[in-house]
Amino acid sequence: MKRWCAARGVARGALMTLDQAWDLSRKWYGNRLAADFRRPTRDEALAIFASVGLTGEFWRL
Amino acid sequence: MSSFHDTVREAIYSTIVSTGAAPSAADVAGLHGADIRDVEAAFRALADGHVIVLHPATHDIAWAPPFSAVPTRYRVRIAGTTWHAPCAWDAFGIPAALHADAVVEATCAWSDEALDCGVVNGRASGHGVIHLLVPAAHFWDDIFFT
Repeated sequence: MKRWCAARGVARGALMTLDQAWDLSRKWYGNRLAADFRRPTRDEALAIFASVGLTGEFWRL
Repeated sequence: MSSFHDTVREAIYSTIVSTGAAPSAADVAGLHGADIRDVEAAFRALADGHVIVLHPATHDIAWAPPFSAVPTRYRVRIAGTTWHAPCAWDAFGIPAALHADAVVEATCAWSDEALDCGVVNGRASGHGVIHLLVPAAHFWDDIFFT
């Protein structure tokens, strides 16, 4: 990861496991095709992030 | 969002789910007997609301997350149909949106090795981690980079 970031001149971001990606996706996209879909509010988004263990400065909105 | 915007959103997603391609504003206008300028305005409103992503300075849809209308390095296969996803997170978003198991065909950003992952029996499968470069508060500053 360090070498990948160094090669591209970018700072390391955040890591997400595949389990987290799936849990996050179910909560974020599970109703995307529903007629009554609406994007999560800021507070709802933060709650979704936190519910799958995505917390800290990187995940602040 | 107005009910017309909802109608347009549903038309976009219905098309990209069934064909893998995004409809044009003219397609949606023709489908619903609407004025193309109203559909273009709805596309713009949906983009401003971070529901879809347009190609810069156009009304052409690049992404209707978690689906991409343009080829990417993240392909998602469900029951014989393949879609592209804008990013690794969205590759899991497609089976989430469709409530289905999936095979994700992607490559490692470092080694270009094929990654074997997906959703099996309703659970994530495979190995690897997803590296996000841009903090959440800045996801939409330059969504194509994010």
